[in-house]
Amino acid sequence: MTDFDHAAIDELLHSRVRLAIVAFLAGAETADFSAVREAIKTTDGNASVHLRKLEDAGYIAAKKRFVARKPQTRYTLTENGRKALLDYVAHLERLLPTGGAPARQPTNGRER
Amino acid sequence: MIEDRVRDDIAFIRRAVEEGRNYATHSSPEIMIWGIAVAVGYLGTYAFLRGWSPVRPSWMWGLCIGAPWLYSLRRLLPAFEQPWADSPMARALSMLSVGCGICLTTLAVAAIWTGDIRQGWFGAVVAGVLGVAFFVSAWLSNLAWLRWVAVLWWLGEIGVFALRHRPEVLPLSAALMLLLLAGPGLLLSLRRKSV
Repeated sequence: MTDFDHAAIDELLHSRVRLAIVAFLAGAETADFSAVREAIKTTDGNASVHLRKLEDAGYIAAKKRFVARKPQTRYTLTENGRKALLDYVAHLERLLPTGGAPARQPTNGRER
Repeated sequence: MIEDRVRDDIAFIRRAVEEGRNYATHSSPEIMIWGIAVAVGYLGTYAFLRGWSPVRPSWMWGLCIGAPWLYSLRRLLPAFEQPWADSPMARALSMLSVGCGICLTTLAVAAIWTGDIRQGWFGAVVAGVLGVAFFVSAWLSNLAWLRWVAVLWWLGEIGVFALRHRPEVLPLSAALMLLLLAGPGLLLSLRRKSV
């Protein structure tokens, strides 16, 4: 038996699509909508739904701007989002037996 | 097995983070190669002027400009297509670097052809254009520290212009290339590989 606490798993990140978005943004720091959609390989509508849920939870921040007169939305991982991802990875690692290959933590991708 | 599932999940997260980093830093090896190649060109020219090297600067520059161009143009080959080449930001950054490269290369060829390169202003133009390139890249890629690289390039432009009639401008230009072009390329590459 492990000391893994199922209740502590973040339900929001339990979805693979949302997990992929948060992990992608942990590496990219900031990305526009089309890049996120490409990364998670889904449709505009599906990407929008998941991005909205993450935004509502405060895990990502959206910023709209105009580039060549076209609206562009850029997404950034928030501190809460980064912490949630790290906690999620830490919980997963607790499921592995001692000596299992741990995941490297995506903490060093932050830029000022 | 739950362990397999967990390892799969962790690998999935790692891949996604890696993709994100590749998206943010896709042009870093190119920046590094250009910085090193041009620095070698400056140092080779300085060595020729001092009598330390028999290699003529024209040959040296042909190699130091031609080789990085070949590396940059490899992206036109299907085998080297980048996964992020179609994203608006990647397109903008690529066009910016290609535009600056064409501008500086054509100006360099013209200056060498006419002999105006001996007047020494070309190095300052290179520094100024690279400052603009980094300033715009900082905004496009949302990497604020690149703006400081742009500011340092513009300070370097003043230094290069001030020394334009002295041979010491060559090692100064080489140092700027290594510190302010190859250096940021290296930092971005390390950031890419540190996941």
